[in-house]
Amino acid sequence: MTETLARIKGLLRRLLARRGAALGLGFLTLVALAAGFATVLPFDPLSQSVAASLLPPSAENWFGTDELGRDILARVIYGARTSLLTAVGAVIIAALIGVPIGLAAGFYGDWRDSLLMRCIDVLLALPNILFAMALIAVLGRSQGAALIAVGIAGIPGFARIARAQVMALRQLDFVTAVRGFGGSPGYIMFRTILPNALSPLVVQAIVLASIAILLEAALAFLGVGVPPPTPSWGEMLRTGKSYLYEAPTYAVLPGIVLTLTILSLDTIGRALTAILDRDETDASGETIGGRR
Amino acid sequence: MTKLSRRQFGMAGLALAGASLAGALPASAQQLKGGRLRVAVLSELANYDPQQLSTVNFHVIKNLYDSLIEYTPEGKPEPSLATEWTITPDKTSVTLKLRSGVTFHSGTPFKADSVLATLQKGADPKRGKNVFATMSIVKDWSAPDDSTVTINFKAPVPERQILDFLQFLIPIDPKGIDTVETVPAGTGPYTLVNRAVGQSLTLKANPKYWREKQPIVQDLVFTVFSEDASASAALESGAVDIVYNGSSRSAVRLKNAGFQVFAGPGPLVQVFRINSTRGPFRNKAFRQAFNHLMDRASILRVGYAGMGKVVALPWAPASPAYDESYNATYAYDLEKAKKLIAASGLSADELKSWKLLVNGSDEASVAISQIVQGSLQKIGIPIELDMRQGAEYVTALLGGDFAATFGAVGNVQKFPSRVATNSIYRTSGNPVLKDPHPHPDYVAAIARVDGASGGAAEVKAAYDNLNKVMVAEAFGIPTNSYDVGLIVASDKIGGVTLDIDNLFVARTIGFK
Repeated sequence: MTETLARIKGLLRRLLARRGAALGLGFLTLVALAAGFATVLPFDPLSQSVAASLLPPSAENWFGTDELGRDILARVIYGARTSLLTAVGAVIIAALIGVPIGLAAGFYGDWRDSLLMRCIDVLLALPNILFAMALIAVLGRSQGAALIAVGIAGIPGFARIARAQVMALRQLDFVTAVRGFGGSPGYIMFRTILPNALSPLVVQAIVLASIAILLEAALAFLGVGVPPPTPSWGEMLRTGKSYLYEAPTYAVLPGIVLTLTILSLDTIGRALTAILDRDETDASGETIGGRR
Repeated sequence: MTKLSRRQFGMAGLALAGASLAGALPASAQQLKGGRLRVAVLSELANYDPQQLSTVNFHVIKNLYDSLIEYTPEGKPEPSLATEWTITPDKTSVTLKLRSGVTFHSGTPFKADSVLATLQKGADPKRGKNVFATMSIVKDWSAPDDSTVTINFKAPVPERQILDFLQFLIPIDPKGIDTVETVPAGTGPYTLVNRAVGQSLTLKANPKYWREKQPIVQDLVFTVFSEDASASAALESGAVDIVYNGSSRSAVRLKNAGFQVFAGPGPLVQVFRINSTRGPFRNKAFRQAFNHLMDRASILRVGYAGMGKVVALPWAPASPAYDESYNATYAYDLEKAKKLIAASGLSADELKSWKLLVNGSDEASVAISQIVQGSLQKIGIPIELDMRQGAEYVTALLGGDFAATFGAVGNVQKFPSRVATNSIYRTSGNPVLKDPHPHPDYVAAIARVDGASGGAAEVKAAYDNLNKVMVAEAFGIPTNSYDVGLIVASDKIGGVTLDIDNLFVARTIGFK
């Protein structure tokens, strides 16, 4: 535990040493804090005041108001909850299903590998957005449906990375040793190999989080995301684009927040990849991923 | 004084004769050229049946079909497929003379048999659709010969109602009447070339069309846009020539940008349609609460850029049954709504056990549905919106598969009982409320209006009774009138004809 904490701290320190990643981390922290503490902030995303619709940014409404006179900043903050919840939920679903599939496929390597990976290939062949829309058509429009749809779309990524990691690690001495001591396949996969394959999976989680946020926004933009009046960045873009002439900030400001969030996640993902790649190079093949 | 030579005199005479002939044509039609007219529409049509007079079909009906008679924008009747109509002095019968030399798209000659087949279809509760309610006044019909049709009524019918009825009747080719939903079967100025569902509809000029020099443009292409903003952008970029039935807000903006905007004489009234056979809406007091839950001013402002009027009854201000006092009596008042809800005796769970169906493709519907949702939230009734897109929504709307939804009604400027041509207000064969009609007082009130052919006092009493019954039964809660079928056109377009129902009439349109 202490060792893990120390590793996380070390990783964080190295991330913060990179300007881009530090900025991204700072922005994401701000968004996450705003989303997490939205209910205690003095903002109401649902309160309507039609008489005050489509107002420009002001001291009272920093981002202006929408067509129903709702505060756009409040809706951006609550929209962050929708986006982050979708991202976290999707990553959990994708990881919980994709990683065991990849581990099993890579570990056994026989017909089970072929069968599992062909199933993953089928899933991979489906365009994410179409698959998500089809699933939402079946499940109905809700945050849960969007989250599940995005999560399932993320399974192939985790499965393929986990499989590749297992295939690289399974012949190494420490795995052979555990097998020699009578370790069960499950123990070897989840207790021996998985901890050493975590780094690329963490990067994949960050990548999927950004894809999930973008996909959720895309679904809402297409009118099949979270139903109104629940705030969603994509839904704000969808409605706001109709008011670009009267109230340009309506669509532009949520769009900027969405862009910066995706940019932040991507920057952190790239930085992490670079840091972990250097770890592997520095170890000269002696240590892969660090923990033994 | 210059003396004209014989040749000069002759030329001048010809020029004068030409000028007087040209004067007989609409001024705008004189210089208009044909070509390919590209029209952006915001909805996919439901089907080709002219008796399905739904807003989603407004862009095709008058281009594929002709009515028996037409109205000018001022409401004056004029011949179309019927060249003459004679109403008996006792107002129990009308005899029509049909136009000769007209053929359907299939080549079948237009004769009395097609009018009889159309009447037969309209009188069938399963096939009559929007026409069925109108047929309630009709007793029987006959065709003494191929060019004459006589329609008899059950009782004396006001003349205006007879004319409305004739204007509403669109003859269908008897050979194609059973497949008219999928294959057009009209006499109209255009014939079907191709339809890509959800994308486009291509028509071409009917070479055998009976109106002289019409249609002007040879090709008519409707492109379905899912977004009002996209349709406006297409017009601004020159990708389309006309946007039909776009939003009032866009029309206001485009007019300011120099585009031509044409608003027809037939507004729609937005109605919060309630399925009184479902859940808490079976409770009368709960339904009546919605008379006071509608923030009509906000709905008009947000949904329709303020273009229109707030109304508590399904009439346009020009309707003889319009009564402005209802706007004040049934104004937005949450306290009154709360009292009615308390009187309903429904539990908190029952009150919120329904979803508001929303046309997700229509920005105005999405916005105004959220206003109602917000009003309900204020009095402690949280409900969800059931967002559906395009055809999925239309199917639910016309099939009555909803608890409540917004949907506009037409014919609100005509004879009051014509309101029963709209699905939610049908007196029988109602696709939402089903048979037997759950509101017999309403059915009786419509019948009383139909039968009131006596003095002004009798007529007014019938209208007053209908208005009272409508707000009491509260299965349709009107909120505002608004311009439908707005035509926004580029400056190279001319010859726009305004239809009494605001349907899109392409046959007179051409390029300047």
